[in-house]
Amino acid sequence: MTVEQNFEALDQFPIGMRVLAVDDDQTCLRILESLLRHCQYNVTTTNQAQKALELLRENKNKFDLVISDVDMPDMDGFKLLELVGLEMDLPVIMLSAHSDPKYVMKGVTHGACDYLLKPVRIEELKNIWQHVVRKNRGSNNGEKRDGSGNEGVGNSDQNSGRANRKRKDQYNEDEDEERDDNDDSSAAKKQRVVWTVELHKKFVAAVNQLGYEKAMPKKILDLMNVEKLTRENVASHLQKFRLYLKRISGVTNQQAIMANSDLHFLQMSSSLNGLDSFHHRPIPVGPGQFHGGAPPMRPFPSNGILGRLNTPSGIGVRNLSSPPAGMFLQNQTDLGKFHHVSSSLPLNHSDGGNILQGLPMPLEFDQLQANNNNNNNNNNNIRNMNNNKSIAGSSMAFPSFSTHQNSLIRAPNNNLVVLDGHPQASPPGFPGHQNNKRLEHWSNAVSSSTLPPPQTSNSIHHQFDVSPLPHSRPDPLEWNNVSSSYSIPFCDSASTMSPQALDTPNPGAFSRNTDFNSNANANAQPGGFYDSLQMRQSGNYGPTTDAMLSTNPKEGFVVGQQKLQSGGFMSADAGSLDDIVNSTMKQEQSQGELSGGDLGYGGFSSLRTCI
Amino acid sequence: MNTIVAQLQRQFQDYIVSLYQQGYLDNQFSELRKLQDEGTPDFVAEVVSLFFDDCAKLISNMSRSLPDNVDFKQVDSGVHQLKGSSSSIGARRVKNVCIAFKECCDVQNREGCLQQVDYEYKMLKTKLQDLFNLEQQILQAGGKIPQVDIN
Repeated sequence: MTVEQNFEALDQFPIGMRVLAVDDDQTCLRILESLLRHCQYNVTTTNQAQKALELLRENKNKFDLVISDVDMPDMDGFKLLELVGLEMDLPVIMLSAHSDPKYVMKGVTHGACDYLLKPVRIEELKNIWQHVVRKNRGSNNGEKRDGSGNEGVGNSDQNSGRANRKRKDQYNEDEDEERDDNDDSSAAKKQRVVWTVELHKKFVAAVNQLGYEKAMPKKILDLMNVEKLTRENVASHLQKFRLYLKRISGVTNQQAIMANSDLHFLQMSSSLNGLDSFHHRPIPVGPGQFHGGAPPMRPFPSNGILGRLNTPSGIGVRNLSSPPAGMFLQNQTDLGKFHHVSSSLPLNHSDGGNILQGLPMPLEFDQLQANNNNNNNNNNNIRNMNNNKSIAGSSMAFPSFSTHQNSLIRAPNNNLVVLDGHPQASPPGFPGHQNNKRLEHWSNAVSSSTLPPPQTSNSIHHQFDVSPLPHSRPDPLEWNNVSSSYSIPFCDSASTMSPQALDTPNPGAFSRNTDFNSNANANAQPGGFYDSLQMRQSGNYGPTTDAMLSTNPKEGFVVGQQKLQSGGFMSADAGSLDDIVNSTMKQEQSQGELSGGDLGYGGFSSLRTCI
Repeated sequence: MNTIVAQLQRQFQDYIVSLYQQGYLDNQFSELRKLQDEGTPDFVAEVVSLFFDDCAKLISNMSRSLPDNVDFKQVDSGVHQLKGSSSSIGARRVKNVCIAFKECCDVQNREGCLQQVDYEYKMLKTKLQDLFNLEQQILQAGGKIPQVDIN
């Protein structure tokens, strides 16, 4: 469908709604396809879950809804469900011949919007579009209508519209901006909450206070005392957070969890939004955008993570960098989460308060970013959210998360958490890159003056017992550990982190160096971020980032970028980081596009702090 | 010509009604037929043949692993899939034997049940083949496939 067609379709939503159907049984798939076509949806089918993930990661904005069978040989349907939900934040409907309530329950707990029994009837399919609308409403707080669709249609339209628009002008930040502007409370319809680091921190604090097990959305909401935040927002964020924790608790690499939890979470969420978390950028940069699928993305293992970030569970990491930074454009919502997550993530939720402590960064970051990005991020996030659906890399992120843990763990403060995820996932080369990204976030976060004293980091580490990360050491800003992409210390991770974002979303980001300068702001969106990132790496931190920042208000990354530059990034093992960054960058460059978004990591002001 | 067409159509109608009455097909099949239109004239035939291919494949896989008793999981998942696809196309009897098969598995009587599944799907295949042939005849004679309303 061309963009124009898409737009038209949007106007006629639910007609033309883009559905991805996954079922290994070819008979059922064929029937499902036909049924969906008869509902006038735009159907894409695949009989492999892996292929489905690739498609989704390739372009977050390509689909509105996913329908998947439960029993599939190459991947458990529930797992796919989780990954899609976390990375791409798309509504997923489960299909099965199992009518056993146990399965239905499993579907629900894994985040399915609905659970249909085979044989599927067309009447049931005629109503599935409601899930798209519902999801959009829930996740967008104050999302504003682009004025594209009808209010009535709700987010889905908007999102689609946005998606379409994005497709049309991929790097056109303007749209995002417009959208962002109003996000505050204009659209009653979908209020997409941008889970900034700050917000997430509050969330985590509330959860800790209530006790993880006992945390209920209503109580959390009350404790958080945030205006305009609804119980639904909290509930959905809580769900994501829980899933995230569950996911990371399963991760063998404890470290990762620890350090990265926040970051990770945010990253993951963000990845959902579109991996952009880092620089995700909503930018449809190109095929590569979706980190997950695209090879370039690889390095950004965090895709998943980032994606996560975007999700409610999103670790604060994302936000760290600066939600507003273009990066998050997509994952605005996650951004917030991202930050918060970091704090909340600590594996020991039992610690309650500890979690927060652990992640001083996120806070910092929030502050840092809050200033710049809040607006931007929100906007971006909203946008991104929609667009990020396809967190390509995200799915990887999660798994990678565990693997990457290293990087993540490091960042006690923040977002490092996220980083970890990435580095591992991503090819060795990239990790560095990713770390860079993360670092950037970190630096941003770190740089923020409010950065809590290292002590906190230490505590964080402790809290995160899970991860034996070497970095756990007290030095929160272990930026200097650049060498280990794996466990990049906070700082390092920052760098890595950012790369993550960069890596995945726009491998090209790095390659965009050149662009950076020219585009820095403008459409750099996806690339802008990267560009800045790249620049950073090349040592142009100073000027570039600043420029970037200023130019791209929208781009969260810009903000982030700055941070990076000034932040620890440079200073922190400039050499090592640079190397990493450069290496990652190279990788990214080769990869292509995505990079654009990465730079956006938004605010890895943490880098700055590293320095 | 018209009488021939009319005759064929009547034959078709009777045949399909009998299939429903005998439980070979159920409502899902008529839903499937509704999905067929000018754009997808062979939809039902395609789906049904996909189904039969799946049946053959799954049954052969299952019968291979049954004697050795090695891969129960595969057998279970195979019959589960068969149950899903048969219910999706409205192959009622096949679906029922699949359900019975699942129960047989519980009591370790896999082989016996599998044979039933095999029998039913082959039976259905024959019947549907006849039905499609009738359809073809009608079309070739210039007639239209009657929309049969199954109550």
